[in-house]
Amino acid sequence: MPSKLFILLKSPQEYRSLDVIAALGGEDRIGVLLFQDAVLFPLQEGMRDELLKVADEVYVMSDDLEARGFKGRSGPGFREIDYPEAVDLIMDEYDLTITV
Amino acid sequence: MGTLMIQVRSGTMMNMDTNVAVKLAAAAMDKGHAVRIFGYGEGVMLVKDGQDPRRFPNVGAAVSELVARGAEVTVCTTCTTARGIERGEEIEGTTIGSITNDLSRFISESDRMVTLAR
Repeated sequence: MPSKLFILLKSPQEYRSLDVIAALGGEDRIGVLLFQDAVLFPLQEGMRDELLKVADEVYVMSDDLEARGFKGRSGPGFREIDYPEAVDLIMDEYDLTITV
Repeated sequence: MGTLMIQVRSGTMMNMDTNVAVKLAAAAMDKGHAVRIFGYGEGVMLVKDGQDPRRFPNVGAAVSELVARGAEVTVCTTCTTARGIERGEEIEGTTIGSITNDLSRFISESDRMVTLAR
């Protein structure tokens, strides 16, 4: 099954177009990788649930969570990862990476 | 192992995009991947020598380390000229190149590409 990894950098207040991910993702396996302020998505109920609906997997950079005082608080449905794991997702696990 | 290309269009100070870029590049090289970084727009600041962001992370220093480890780091000449960055002001080992030649070569020779832009 083809797969696409979407990278988000902005917070849920700044980036609200999750429908773009659904549209670009189509029938493929969809992963979403949250960097920087995008790590706040799991902490905002509405946008969190919308993101979990759109994506098959959601990965959260633990560095960025910790930098913002939310270490370990992403909750169910989110997998906290580090940079080596992010490299594996990009290079091996997904066919294509798209930043939105 | 493969080749990762990172395209950067953000500056070095307004957000952490370039920090993400250098950390991702270092992690990829730790795993044995080759890395190419291309900067344009504000991303050309990646290669400016003499960066001194005081208590903030020094992306220029990280770029120097990556280049020493074999990463290829190139930026767009039109964008450097537009910003008053002259040839010779780039970090040693980095290149002021072009979108036409270098970006297209990087993309065609890489297995994966990541864009860091806003």
